[in-house]
Amino acid sequence: MSAASRRFAPLAAFLALAVVVLVLPSFVSAFRAQQFAYVAIYLVAIIGLNILTGYTGQISLGHGAFMAIGGYTTAILMADHGVKDIWTIPVAALVTGVVGFLFGIPALRLSGLYLALATFAIAVSMPAVIKRFEGFTGGGGGINLFGLPELTASLTPVEVLGQDLVFNDWLYYLCWTIALFGYVIAWLFLGGRTGLALRAVRDSETAAQSSGVSLPRYKTLAFGVSAAYAGVAGSLFAIATTFVNPDTFPVALSILLLVGVVVGGLGSLVGLIAGAIFIQFLPIWSQEVSKSPGAPSVVSGLILIALMFVLPMGVAGLVARLKSLTKR
Amino acid sequence: MIRKLSLALPALVLVLALAAGAALAGTTRNQADPGVTETSILLGTTSPLSGSASAYASVARGANAYFEYVNSKGGVLGRKITNTIVDDAYNPAQTVQATRKLVEQDKVFAIFNALGTEHNEATREYLNAQKVPQLFAASGATKFGSEAAKYPYTIGFQPSYQAEGWVLGKYLARTQGAAKVAVIFQNDDYGKDLLNGLKKGIQRSKVRIVAAEPYEVTASDVQAQVAKLKASGANTFAVFATPKFAIQSYVYASRLNWKPKLTLANAVSSASNIMQLASEGGQNKVVNGSVSIVFLKDPTDPKWRNDAAMKLYRQVMSKFAPGANPNDVYHVYGMASAWTAVEALKKAGKNLTRAGLVKVVDAMNFSSNPFLLPGISLKTGPSDHFPIEQMLLQRWQKGSWKSFGGIWGYRAA
Amino acid sequence: MQQVVAGLASGSIYASLALALVLIHRATGVINFAQGEMATLSTYIAWSLTTNHGWNYWPAFAVTLVLSFVGGVGIHQGIIRPNEKGSVLRVVIVTIGLLILINGLIVMIWSGEVRAIQSPFPTRTVEIGGVAISIQDIGTIGVVLATVVVLWLLFQYTKIGLAMRAAAVNPAEARLVGVRVTWMLSLGWGLAAVLGAISGMLAAPSLFLDPNLMAALLIYAFAAAVLGGIDSPVGAVVGGLILGVGLNLLGTYVDFVGADLRLPGALLVILVVLLVKPSGLFGHREVKRV
Repeated sequence: MSAASRRFAPLAAFLALAVVVLVLPSFVSAFRAQQFAYVAIYLVAIIGLNILTGYTGQISLGHGAFMAIGGYTTAILMADHGVKDIWTIPVAALVTGVVGFLFGIPALRLSGLYLALATFAIAVSMPAVIKRFEGFTGGGGGINLFGLPELTASLTPVEVLGQDLVFNDWLYYLCWTIALFGYVIAWLFLGGRTGLALRAVRDSETAAQSSGVSLPRYKTLAFGVSAAYAGVAGSLFAIATTFVNPDTFPVALSILLLVGVVVGGLGSLVGLIAGAIFIQFLPIWSQEVSKSPGAPSVVSGLILIALMFVLPMGVAGLVARLKSLTKR
Repeated sequence: MIRKLSLALPALVLVLALAAGAALAGTTRNQADPGVTETSILLGTTSPLSGSASAYASVARGANAYFEYVNSKGGVLGRKITNTIVDDAYNPAQTVQATRKLVEQDKVFAIFNALGTEHNEATREYLNAQKVPQLFAASGATKFGSEAAKYPYTIGFQPSYQAEGWVLGKYLARTQGAAKVAVIFQNDDYGKDLLNGLKKGIQRSKVRIVAAEPYEVTASDVQAQVAKLKASGANTFAVFATPKFAIQSYVYASRLNWKPKLTLANAVSSASNIMQLASEGGQNKVVNGSVSIVFLKDPTDPKWRNDAAMKLYRQVMSKFAPGANPNDVYHVYGMASAWTAVEALKKAGKNLTRAGLVKVVDAMNFSSNPFLLPGISLKTGPSDHFPIEQMLLQRWQKGSWKSFGGIWGYRAA
Repeated sequence: MQQVVAGLASGSIYASLALALVLIHRATGVINFAQGEMATLSTYIAWSLTTNHGWNYWPAFAVTLVLSFVGGVGIHQGIIRPNEKGSVLRVVIVTIGLLILINGLIVMIWSGEVRAIQSPFPTRTVEIGGVAISIQDIGTIGVVLATVVVLWLLFQYTKIGLAMRAAAVNPAEARLVGVRVTWMLSLGWGLAAVLGAISGMLAAPSLFLDPNLMAALLIYAFAAAVLGGIDSPVGAVVGGLILGVGLNLLGTYVDFVGADLRLPGALLVILVVLLVKPSGLFGHREVKRV
C-alpha cells in the first residue's frame, strides 16, 4: 500500500461512515433510528473516556457523573431559563469541562486504583448531592422536558434543510452529527503533539517528564477534555430521554461506559462505535433470551465474560488482526 | 481502500442487517387502534427484572399469571391478552426507552401496571401526547390520580402514599393524645409523600413529629438513623421504608433497647412474612401492636385459607407462574391490578378503542375486587383517577395481622 | 457513644470485605468488582443450608467457607487467569461481568425477597454506661479481629504464606525458586472468597439478606481499602473501622451533612487524606521505573 493511500484511508473510512449514518434512517423504522441515536450518545461519552483511559492511562469510574452534570445543565437551562435545547449543548460541554479540569488538579496526585476510587466517589455521591439541592435540580422527582417549547421536536415534525423530521429522526441526526464532529475533533486532538504527549504519559510518567512533557498540564487537559465529551453526551441523553432524575445517571452507567471503552478497544477510535453499539443493545438483546427475573443479568454477564475471552483487545484488536490477515 | 472500509465497519454493517430484519418483521395492520384485533389485545409493562429493585418484578409476574388464566377461559370477549414485560432495571431513562419500544415498535394498545414513581412520571407526558392509556401505574404517588384533567390517559391504582400517611396520622390524633412521633423515611417521593400525609393527618391535634430521619435507598443499613431517632425521646415510631430497611428499623430499635409505645408500618413493607422476619421469632417486642393500613388480601393470612378468590390465586400461581413464591404479596397486587384491567376491558366492549377504555376507567364503579379486602370498592371519576381510596387499619398481634375499626376513606385535595 | 459502637460494628464488616479486596489486589493487581456478589452468593448458600436443609449453623458455616474457597480458586483458574495477559482492564471487565452474572443468578434462584439468616450470636443487648451494645456486634468485631490474626500468622509464619507473598511481590523470581505462582495466586482468590463469605455471613443477620446485601457494602469496603492503602491488610482493617465510626459521627454531628450526605462526606474526607498520603495510611509508595 502506498504512503498516500495509507494517509487517506482513515479519511475515506470516515466519509463512508458519514454516508452510512446519513442514509440509515431511510432503511430502518423511526424507532430504530432513535435507538441508534443513543448509540451516538454513548459514542460521544466513550470517545471522551477513551482520551483519558485509553490514551492517558487514567482509569475513570466517574464518567456517568460527568454525564449527569451535562444532563442537568441542559435540563435546568431548558426548563427554568427557556434556552433552546441545542444551545444548551455547548454550555453543558463548557460547564462539565471546567468541572473535569478542576477535578483533574487534585487527581494529579493520585494514580491507578486510588484515582479509580476518587472518580468512583463522584459517581457514588452524585445522586445524593442532586437530591440535596432539590430547589435547583427537582430532587428525586427530576425534571421533565417532554412537551416543552424548548425541545425542538417532540410531537410535531421539525423542518431541517427542507426535510420534515419527526422526533426520532431529528434526534438521530442531531446526535450523530455531534458524534461525528466529536470524532474528528478527538482525531485531531490525539493525532498531533498533544496525543503524542498523552501517550508518553500513559506509557511512563517518569520517562515523559524527563523528555519535557509537563505532567500537570497534560493530565488536567485530558481530564477537562474527557469530561467535556461526557458532558455533551449527558446533555444529549437528557434531550433524548426528555427526563432527568438522579436514577437516570446511576453508578452502573459509569461502569457501563468503561465496559464500552474496553469492548471497543483501548486507545483506538475505530472500535469505539462497536463499544457504543454493545452497551446500547446488550440489555435489549439479553432480555430477548429470557424474561424471568434475574435472567437478563445472567445473559449480560455471560456475554461480557465470553467477549473478553474471544476479543482480548476489544473490537479494535479484532480489526487489527483482520487487517494483518488480509495483508498477507 | 474498499477492503479497509469493510474492515473498519463490520460491526455496524452487522447491526444494520439485524435492524433491517427486525424492522421488516412484526408489523400489524389494523384499522382501529394499535394493539387490538378480533382475537387479541396487546399490553405492555415496564418492570425491574434486573437490578436493585428486582423484588418488585413479582408484581408483573402475578398480573401475567392472571391474564393467562383469563386467556385459558376464553379471554376478554374472545380476545386473548398478551402483556409484554420489558426490563427497565429500575432506571427511569431505560423506562422511557422501553416504553417507546412498546408503543412505537411493538404497538401495544396500552401501558399497564408499569412499576415505580419516577418511572411512570418519566413517561407520563409522552404517553398522554401519544394518547396511549397509562393504565394503573404501580405507584402510590398522588400525582397519578390527582392530575387527571391534565393527563386523562394516566390512572393510578393503589391508595396514595399521602392517603396512607393521612389515615395513620388521623388514627394517632384520635387515639394517642400527645404522642411524640419519630419517623424514618426513604429519601424519595414515596417516603416524603407518606411523611407529608402523616403531617396532614395530625394537624390540629396534640400529636407532634419530634424527629424525622431520611435514608438513601442505596445505603447498606439504617443503624445510625435509628440511634438518632431513639435519642429524640419519641414514644411512637413511624417506619416509612421499603421491606429490608423496615425490618432493619424494627430490629435495631429493639437492639438499642428502645421501647416505643407504638410503631406504624406502611403498606409496601407490612406483609406478614416481612413482619415475621422483623419480629425475630417473637423476640422483638417493638413489632408487637404495630399498626398499618391494608387493602390487599395477605396470602399468608390464615383467615383467607378458604376464601374463594385466594384459592383461585394459589391455583393460578401454581399453574401459570410455577416456581414463584405464592406467599409473596406483590403477586396479589399484580393480580388485583390485572383483574381490574380485565373488568375494564370487558366494559369497554367489543368495539375496543383507547378513547373508549379511558372513558371506562373515568367512570369505574366496582363494588369489590376479589383480591382486595371485602368492603373496598373501586370508584373513579373524570377528575378522580384514584381507583382505590379505601383501606382498613390492622394491628400486628401474636404473629399475625388483625384488622380493626371500619373502612377509612380519603379524598385527595 | 452509641454511634461509635454502632460504627465499630459496621466498620468491622467493611474491614473484612476490604481485606478480601486487598488480598485479590495483592494477588492479581486488580480490584475485584464481583467481590461483593461472591460474598452474597456464599451467604445465600449458608442461608439455604440452614433454612431449607435444616443444617445447624456451624456445619453450614464451615461448608460454606469450603465451597467459597473452591469457588474462589475455580474463578481464578477458570476465568481470571486466561484473561490476565494484556491490559489490566480486561480482568476488571471480567469481574464486572461476573458481578452482573452472579447478581442475576441469585435473583433467579432465590428471588429478590428479603430473608433472615440465623446468627451464631445471641441477639440480646447488654447495656454498659447507658450504651446499648448487642452481643452480635461484639461477636462480629471479635470474628473479624480473629480472622486478621489468623491471616497475619498465615502470611508471617507458614511456608505457604511466604510463597503466596513471594508470588504476589515478584512472580518471576518466585517461579525460579520453585514457587507454583499460578496456584499461589489462585489460593489468594480462594482466601479472598472465604473472607467475603465470612463478612457476608456476619453482615446478613443484622442487615438482612437480599441480592444487594454486599453490593451496597462494596463501596464502603473499596473506600476502606484505599484509605488504609490498597496493599496493606492492616490498613484495610484500620480503614474499615475508621470509616464505620467516621460515617456515623459525620452523619450525626455535622448538621449540613445529615444522613443522606454522609457517604459523599466520608468519601470527600478520604480524598483529602489521599491527597496528603497518596498511597493510603499504610500503603507503600510504588517505586516508579522507567
